[in-house]
Amino acid sequence: MTESTPIVSVIIPTHNRKADLERTLAALKIQIYPLVSVEVITVADGCTDGTLEMLNGYEAPFALRVLAQSNLGPGSARNLGAASATSPLLLFLDDDVEPAASFIEAHVLAHQRRKGHVVVGPYLPFFPNPTFYQTRLRAWWERVFDEMLRPGHRFAFFDLLTGNVSIEREIFNRIGGFHAGMRAHEDYEFGMRLIKAGVPFAVAPDAMGRHHDRSDIEHAILRKREEGKSDVIMARLHPEFVQALPLAGSGAGWPPSIDILRFLAFHMPTVGDACAVVSRRALGFLERVRLRSHWNRLFGAALIYGYWIGAASELKTTAKLKALLDQGPRRVQENGPMAEIDLSEGIEAAERRLDEERPSAIRVRLGRRPVGVIPPQPGAEALRGAHLRYILADRLAVPLLQGLALEGGIAGTETVDRPRLASAIRGRAHWFGPIRPGQMWWEQYSQWKDSRDRRECLEQEVAWLAERRQHWRQLAENNRIDGLKE
Amino acid sequence: MATAVLDLDFDDLPREITGLDGYSRALVLIRMRGRPVGQALLPVEDGRAGGKDALRDALLYAADSGFWEQWLRRFLDLEERTQVRGALPEASVAVCTRDRTDDLRRCLEALARLPDIGQEILVVDNCPSSESTRHLVAERKKVRYVREERPGLDNARNRAMREARKEIIAFTDDDATPDPGWLANLLRNFDDPHVLCVTGMTMPMELETRAQEYFQRAGGLGRGFKRTVYDSAYHNPLEGWQAGAGVNMALRRTVPDLIGPFDECLDVGTPVQGGGDSDIFGRILAKGFRIVYDPEALNWHRHRRDWEGLRRQLRGYESAGFAVWTRSLIVEGELEALAQAWHWLKRELPALGRSLLGVPGSAPRDLILARFRGAATGPWAYLYAHRRPMEKGTRP
Repeated sequence: MTESTPIVSVIIPTHNRKADLERTLAALKIQIYPLVSVEVITVADGCTDGTLEMLNGYEAPFALRVLAQSNLGPGSARNLGAASATSPLLLFLDDDVEPAASFIEAHVLAHQRRKGHVVVGPYLPFFPNPTFYQTRLRAWWERVFDEMLRPGHRFAFFDLLTGNVSIEREIFNRIGGFHAGMRAHEDYEFGMRLIKAGVPFAVAPDAMGRHHDRSDIEHAILRKREEGKSDVIMARLHPEFVQALPLAGSGAGWPPSIDILRFLAFHMPTVGDACAVVSRRALGFLERVRLRSHWNRLFGAALIYGYWIGAASELKTTAKLKALLDQGPRRVQENGPMAEIDLSEGIEAAERRLDEERPSAIRVRLGRRPVGVIPPQPGAEALRGAHLRYILADRLAVPLLQGLALEGGIAGTETVDRPRLASAIRGRAHWFGPIRPGQMWWEQYSQWKDSRDRRECLEQEVAWLAERRQHWRQLAENNRIDGLKE
Repeated sequence: MATAVLDLDFDDLPREITGLDGYSRALVLIRMRGRPVGQALLPVEDGRAGGKDALRDALLYAADSGFWEQWLRRFLDLEERTQVRGALPEASVAVCTRDRTDDLRRCLEALARLPDIGQEILVVDNCPSSESTRHLVAERKKVRYVREERPGLDNARNRAMREARKEIIAFTDDDATPDPGWLANLLRNFDDPHVLCVTGMTMPMELETRAQEYFQRAGGLGRGFKRTVYDSAYHNPLEGWQAGAGVNMALRRTVPDLIGPFDECLDVGTPVQGGGDSDIFGRILAKGFRIVYDPEALNWHRHRRDWEGLRRQLRGYESAGFAVWTRSLIVEGELEALAQAWHWLKRELPALGRSLLGVPGSAPRDLILARFRGAATGPWAYLYAHRRPMEKGTRP
């Protein structure tokens, strides 16, 4: 049994985080999955803190291999680990992720159920009594995994997170491993190649780990610089996905001041850097006096500036940025066919068509009535049948309900006035989707307002205005008379 | 004229509803297979809900987005899970009361009708003037009676947290009654360990008087028909009141250890007259934990009937809001509280102006003045209570 070839290779790149690595290894010792089928490959990437000594003396119930390289970055460390793996399944784990006991088993089961998928597992940080930065960091991670775990999620390259991901060795080798020249986002770049090759993604909720993320503001801003650089490399390698990168200037949550920050980074970096130093001080002050929203805005700006400084160091001029962006959109049009979906033929039939054709965009109809368009999403997987119902519920709810109302598809309403029903639904359109911050009961309030007799309101207002006018006239008249008297 | 309150299941709708004479409108809670999903306001003509339209049609014309989203999910066969992973935690239901036996009787009767999911019921009698509450509770075997002599709702709440024997403590008011699914729907949201508090929807029991109607249309105690997760990454802890209200909230037993107890200088029974709930919500968020608002955890509240009571309540709300900001400023050092007060002024001054000019549709003058009085007194009331904690056994 001990001589059997392993079934899983857990690959852990590490860089000067001895204590974290020890904790991760300790968690691997208590896996539910039989450890005789597991080999663990640690790749020390330029470690100088005694990690190698610790590893060489480490006693483990699994086969532990220790590799080392000079500081070449995590992507290259993972490639080195993968090259020496002997099992058919590669499981990449970060040194600061403490896996749950079900971790390996959940990955293996996911691959048995879904052959040929790349499987991502959630790894969330938790901070008791968090700083503003930690609150924001945790929220980011949670949003990423909540989104991924939502049924009907359409996976994209940025769902490939290397802290906790598994892939068949054969696919890894076919895709070509991680880009060794990138210090950040090498996982996204790998994700882009997976998406292009049509490798399907999956998420295994039980393959979870706890992320002991100890980064801080300084680290986050430095990392943003690396991301800016890496995104330029990515845009050059995969121009068809450039619109999905913050380089294109339309990333979610990016404020309009982005143009100023980009200008500073490209044309006046000395001024920009001085502002960055000041803002670093200001962030500390804002946190001390608990000005949360101001802190968030300033920190957001510092991150964006860091990103553009990184991009500018790679691109040098804005003309080159423009040239890089210009090669993108043309290709998006060629990104794949747009399918016509007619829901009156039944949703199951539509789902089957999506599964057969795998279009990148769809135009939805209900009989002859157009419902809406789902445009292509650069960097995302082609549409599958499983996406359809969620897209309809989340993105096309109002036009679909209107269409159903007009076509008589809302059952049991023979007496209903169809255009009136459709217009009533359109009147509610603003309130569909999650509640906007601070507007918890606005929809209910609007219902009360609408329930008043409009004519009555109008009459009241006209009467009030007339009365006011009369009042002012009277005042003016009195003044005039007073003036004459004098 | 008054507004009738109806509770209708879209899957089991009567052909028509008549006999609503004396009402000009009907506020309908819409359910689908028993689950509350939305609300509609229907006209009432000649005692008939929906006026000339058939009831079902009228309901469809007036239904809100919550109903339609649920309708569409069902049409697409996407109905969400209603059961939870694993077993529900057990709960202690706590009712803090003081000298209101008529309301409390109705509340306890409704609590007795809840399905048994291992809950215990706790009545905290806060500095009562008579033994009537004790006698009322003594008639009921399954209800535990606790007497808290120190006046103040937050004292009573802290006592309830200490006395409770279960993992979750669900609070409701004596003038509210729970819906059958209330407790289970609160509890199912605790499957995320970061969630320290769950709040729910509160609908009005009746809208018979002008005061009740005004309170409801200005928002009432509900927070909409969409489940919402509150987290300080997206929600300002100083706006904790947005997450819910003390009439319908459940807390983990660990809250006093992790966050601290309810502030005894706040809420009913102190000069501040409110705010204990929004303060604890804000502190939960500020410590990095979450609050879930789940509209399916529904209960019904009898709003104050008289105009004077409404005025006092609105004054209390603003007083509470400003007292909580004062607390944030002096206890937690949150400078942003000043910005909150400034935003409040920017929002409310034009409303005051419109009301003083008598613009049609603006808020009644006495109510808006009461709110400004509350805002002006809130900080001082908190400072007063903060410096002179209520002595044991004294009455507010």
